[in-house]
Formats: sequence, C-alpha cells, structure tokens
Amino acid sequence: MVDYRKTEEERRVSEVPERATGAKEETAGSPYRAGEPAALGMRIEGLSAFYGSFKAITDVTMDIRANRVTALIGPSGCGKSTYIRCLNRMHEVIPGARAEGGVLLGEDDIYAKDVDPVRIRRRIGMVFQKPNPFSKSIYENVAWGARINGYKGDMDELVERSLKHAALWEEVKGRLKESGLGLSGGQQQRLCIARTLAVEPEVILMDEPASALDPVSTQKIEDTMEQLKQDYTVVIVTHNMQQAARISDYTGFFYIENMGDPGRLWEFDETEKMFSNPERKETEDYVTGRFG
Amino acid sequence: MPRETFQQELDGLLSDLLELGEEVEASLENMVRAMEDRDANVARRELGVDVRYKMRGMDIERECMILQARQAPVARDLRLLYTVQSVTNHLVRSGTLCEHICHAIVDTEGRERDEDLEIALVEMARTARNVFNEGLDVFRNRDIERARDLQAKDDKVDLLYSEAMNLIANPSEGGGGAPEWRMRAALTVHYLERISDHGVDVGGSAVFLVTGQRIEDAMQQYLDRNVEHDGDGT
Repeated sequence: MVDYRKTEEERRVSEVPERATGAKEETAGSPYRAGEPAALGMRIEGLSAFYGSFKAITDVTMDIRANRVTALIGPSGCGKSTYIRCLNRMHEVIPGARAEGGVLLGEDDIYAKDVDPVRIRRRIGMVFQKPNPFSKSIYENVAWGARINGYKGDMDELVERSLKHAALWEEVKGRLKESGLGLSGGQQQRLCIARTLAVEPEVILMDEPASALDPVSTQKIEDTMEQLKQDYTVVIVTHNMQQAARISDYTGFFYIENMGDPGRLWEFDETEKMFSNPERKETEDYVTGRFG
Repeated sequence: MPRETFQQELDGLLSDLLELGEEVEASLENMVRAMEDRDANVARRELGVDVRYKMRGMDIERECMILQARQAPVARDLRLLYTVQSVTNHLVRSGTLCEHICHAIVDTEGRERDEDLEIALVEMARTARNVFNEGLDVFRNRDIERARDLQAKDDKVDLLYSEAMNLIANPSEGGGGAPEWRMRAALTVHYLERISDHGVDVGGSAVFLVTGQRIEDAMQQYLDRNVEHDGDGT
C-alpha cells in the first residue's frame, strides 16, 4: 500500500525496491492476493538468459497462475521474447544461447539434466508472431503433431475439438482438406493455435500472436484466449498495451534501466492494478505511453 | 516527450477545470458578501450562474469522454480524467447551491430576520466558503498532506449547522424573523453544509489522483500509524 505519509516524490524514490521481481518485495514475483485458489501453472526462479557472453535478461522470478492469462509488456529489446522462449526451452536452439535458473512446470524442473526439451515443448506449446501453418491441409495441420506424438484416439474428434477450441471450426469445417495456406492471416493464426492445442499442452505461450493481424482477426484471437484459459495456462507477449489490459489477468512489465543492461522483470501485478495504479514510476510512464 | 499532444490536452482540461473552480469561488465570495452586508444587489449578480456552470461542466465532461475514446488513457492519465469528471460535478453542484442561496437572499430582501440566526448563517457561509476554497487549493497543488485537515474544518461547518438548525427550530420569544425568511434560512443552512462537503471531496480527490487511494483508506492508514506509534510509546 502506498505510504500516505510521504509526498509523491518521496514515495517514488524510497519505495522502489533495489531489485524488483514483483510489486511487493516480500512476495517477489507473486502478486496473488490471499483467498484466490493457489493453482500454480509455472514457477520461474532467478532466470537469466544469455546470447553468448551477452546477458539479455537477469534474475527473473515469477509465479504464473494456472488457468489465467499472464501478459508480458515492455519496450523493444527488454527481453520479453527471450524470456518467453526460455519457458519452453526454445531459447537454447539459437547457437550460443543459454539460460540459467529454475523453471518449474508443476513439480518438474524443465531445465533438469534428464529432461528432453522436445517433451517439454509438447507440454508447453508456442504460437508465434507470424502464422506459420504447414503446407498441408487444414486437417493435417492440426492432426500432424498429435500423430507423430503417437496419438491413438479418434483423430477426427481431436481435430474438430482443437479447431473448436481455437474458434475456427465453423469457418473451416466444410473444407478441411484444403490447404492451410489458403486461409486468411487471422484464420492461419487460429489454425496454428489449433495445431498447438492438438498435442494437449498444459501451457500456451504466445509471442505477439495478433501483431500481424487486422482488428477483426485480432478480436477473434483475443476472444479465443478468453476461452483458452478455461483449460490452459496462457502467457502472452504483446506490444499492444490495450490488448494486455483487455485480455490478461496478470501483467509483467519488463524494463532495461540503462542501455546495455539486461532486461528485468520490473513490476508484476494484477492487470487492473498495473493499468490503474502501478507501483513504479517506470511502469506508469510506459503504460501511459510516456516512453518506449 | 511522446504523447505530447495528449499531455497538452490533459493540461488544457485541468486548466479549464481550475478556471471553473475559480469562478465558483468568486460566486461564493459574492454570496458571503451579500449575506454580510445584507446586500441583495450583490446576490442578484449571481442569478443565472447555475446554467453557465452546468454548460461549462458539460464541456469538460465531453472533453473527458473524447480523450477516453481517442487516447485510451491508463494509470495516472486515467485517474486524472476520472478525477476531473468527479471534481467537475462537485464544482457545478456548489455553483448551483450558491445560486439557490443568492436567490433566497434576493427573495427575502427586507424581510424581518432573527439576529442570532443571521449571525450563525453568516459565520457558516464564511466557513463553508473557506472549506471550498481550501479544497480547490489542495486539488490545484495536489497537496495531499493538507487534504486530511479539510475534514476537521468541515466539522466546524457541521457544528454551525446544528447550532443554526437549533435556532430555526427554537426561535427566541418574539423573534425568529419572518416565516419565509426562516424557511429560506433552513434551506440555506442545508445548502452551505453541502457546499462545504463538496469542498472536502474536491480536496480529497487530490489524494486519489496522486496515490490511487481513496482518502478514506489513506485516513485509516494515518490513524493506524498513530495507533502504532502510541503502542511504541512514541
């Protein structure tokens, strides 16, 4: 709570923690209020990421609540995308890139030595900025991942369920054999979401999933996310702050204090708090568009 | 600075709001003078201000709505727009009440008065005006330290309210003034109490604007601090 006894300037100076990993120092990385069910989707502890000797993000600690949408915002180059790629071990596929720290999915440390990154990526799916459907039919785009993972169930049912979850079924149910590349950009992105859902992940990571889409397609993706969180944990990187405000339950603000420094999780709190009365001046300056 | 135009629009909006507040202050000043000097002509000048203030208030609210639609404000910008709308309402309401009182002064010109009640009314009018001016000043300077003192000043208005109501209900033998004057005096007492409350709320808005907290919460925190200090023996 803001200390009423101090002037605005005093508060700004004295109440900024030395190293902020969340809104409240004593519960770093955990903005969750007492009383809410404590279902934890992922726990990130002291995560740092490197490209060779360059440290891109440092010491990020964050609890990601299950069945909620967590948005990550921040100026370009602050490490949001790097961070989200660390959450399903995609970061390390870049030559020279590595991560340090702990990332727990449930009880499992996804960076433990005996863990297969491919299995992790199945449990933590990812949707990218640009839709990238395979050059296959709509049906095969959805079925392919499940098939190579040895899915033994009713494939037609899985495809239909996944497309429905991604709010695309009604638009494509009559042309499942047509190429996925023939769909509009917004439909392609929802096809990619359906493809991600078909392997039945626990967490879905989205890296600016609507930034290349028109407003109507963007709205459909946002509506999709509202549905997705009923069954999945969703983490989304977005440059569109209004989108973060509209769709997310929690928001993390990444920030680089000085040029050349690594990105840090500067503030993490409930979305309504972050967009109405954030604790830190830099967050307020960013969300009000005064920099970045 | 990015969003320079938006910032200019916000500054302009705030400036319009403070200008409206200063005009209401001037109306209240005339109201007090008219009561002090029993000068209905001074009060007469304020007849019609209500419509003008309402129009000004509507202009400010329209601008707030346009800025919300065009700029999608968040955080301190959102708090500012919300506060401007709320303060506008308090200012316009105070202006309306001021005109009601001026109407009463004009309508009861030359009527017999109760001297004790009139003294209480004038004192209450001065105090309510002071609370309103102070509230506007607290808001103008975002001086949240002074915001909590407003409540104490408003308490004096509440005391005068009780005193005046007592005199209205229990006029001295052979006194009490003309019935219409006494009836208008009762309404005036009520209006003055409301003006003072609006002043307190205008000042309290500064707390929300700066901290995002309601003044009631902030006051509780302040009281809790005193309890803590008492517990420490400090």
